[in-house]
Amino acid sequence: MTVLLFAGLTLRELARRRLVAAVAVLTLAIVAFTAWGLHRLATAVVDGAPIADPGKHAAAAGIVIVLAFLFSFVLALGAALVGAPAMGESIANGEILAVLARPVRRADVALGRWLGTVVALAIYVAVAGGIELLVVRVTTGYVPPSPLAALAYLCALGAVVTTAAVALAARLPALAAGIVSALLFGLAWIGGIIESIGLALGNQRLADAGTVVALIFPSDALWRGALYALQPAVFSAVAANANASGSVNPFTVTSPPPPAMLAWACGWTVAVLVAGIAAFRTRDL
Amino acid sequence: MPDAIVARALAKRYGRIDALADLTLRVERGECLGFLGPNGAGKSTAVKILVGLVRATGGDAQLLGRPVGDRRTRARIGYLPELFRYPDWLAAHEVLGFHAKLMRLSDADLAIDLVLDEVGLRERARDRVGTYSKGMQQRLGLAVALLGEPEIVFLDEPTSALDPVGRSDVRALIERLRARNTTVFLNSHLLGEVERVCDRVCVVDRGRVVAEGTVDALTGETRGVRVRADDGWHDYDVAHAEIPGLVARLVADGVRIHAVEPKQTTLEERFLALVRHA
Repeated sequence: MTVLLFAGLTLRELARRRLVAAVAVLTLAIVAFTAWGLHRLATAVVDGAPIADPGKHAAAAGIVIVLAFLFSFVLALGAALVGAPAMGESIANGEILAVLARPVRRADVALGRWLGTVVALAIYVAVAGGIELLVVRVTTGYVPPSPLAALAYLCALGAVVTTAAVALAARLPALAAGIVSALLFGLAWIGGIIESIGLALGNQRLADAGTVVALIFPSDALWRGALYALQPAVFSAVAANANASGSVNPFTVTSPPPPAMLAWACGWTVAVLVAGIAAFRTRDL
Repeated sequence: MPDAIVARALAKRYGRIDALADLTLRVERGECLGFLGPNGAGKSTAVKILVGLVRATGGDAQLLGRPVGDRRTRARIGYLPELFRYPDWLAAHEVLGFHAKLMRLSDADLAIDLVLDEVGLRERARDRVGTYSKGMQQRLGLAVALLGEPEIVFLDEPTSALDPVGRSDVRALIERLRARNTTVFLNSHLLGEVERVCDRVCVVDRGRVVAEGTVDALTGETRGVRVRADDGWHDYDVAHAEIPGLVARLVADGVRIHAVEPKQTTLEERFLALVRHA
């Protein structure tokens, strides 16, 4: 009950502070721009003839993956820059003092802030991602293999970054917690590329280094899950051939993240959240 | 019925610094305690320990017979922090509504209206906190602290942002709380304010209690008398019992007396003596 109160407060704050309106306007601008581009692609004439469906769909698939990458980046930054202040700002400015003098568990505050941020991100993913995929379908007729799974992976990615932001903000200033969380997301992405390079070149040390980064911060595994759910089978085959010849493309993957990695990401989220709550509970305010 | 507040050898240490050392005090129900001390004396630390925001490194304390931090007890206390701040994107009635939900008040609307009237914010209750002056935000803080008729109210510098009218209102408010048998723990720099409304005073300096007692016990030493004659005020260093004799002698000497006032140590004088001596 109290958790939901704080989650609701977080969502109301986002709405009242016009963040939702600003993000909605910018997202609609991106959607409109991509709709225009995809429409141009669908109606383009090459050598006096319209592009055939397979070619159109391959191009649309590539654009969807690039758009998903953009969304994953916006999502990670949003998670870091919304989650950290949601938790840390009220501690820094003293708003939390009168609240915690009430019969409230600190764990409820942290969980509520986390939940509110994750719900906001999930709504963003569902609405923005859903509209974008709809635009792709309407303009080009292309539908990715598993669009719902891709959106679910992106939500999970947002939850991982939010978890780090909220847990860090339990002890660090909100700005520092947000920046560190965003940097960890970037580090994880680079770790994923290093792992791919290691696997493509048969260099076990590089591959292991990438795996260690993924274990420390599992956001890239979730991005790869989204990527796999969005890319057509032919992309996977091309990626496998490319890997076999030692080349790496960060926008294609050969397989989804293994179940063990997904389980690790879940366990990691719970463990980091619990650690953040413990840090908050013992903090003098 | 247990005392409202009991603290035994309460201590808080940050590294090598004693923010609070050996604070022992007892506050009865319905009593108004003035908690005084210079900046950095440990006053806010003590209040924060008592309301469960800071963990003591030594000693123990109880509120209403339960250990500090007990969740059910926290439903029976109110707290105005020194650093009062409320979400500027919410209206005052929304802030109070949120706190009412945290407290699970059964008749929240009535409770909110009561405290808004109490602090004189009813007219602006629908306006966002961001449009409030600092004084109005402090009034909102008082309303939050008084919500749900708490049995103990901790007020940490409740008049720091208020003008003289606001300060007078807060004094009247504290009087009403005392009349309702609410225990008030008043942390203030304004000694005149404490002198007027508190039953007892506890003075802390550098984390330790340096004096404690009723306001009269701390300030009541008669030190002489002031006499106003035709040519102004004159001080006479005589004992209390010698005042009638002094007046008779002056009259006999042809002095026209307009007023006679026993001189008393003010709380401010006593406070400064204690703190400077420490």
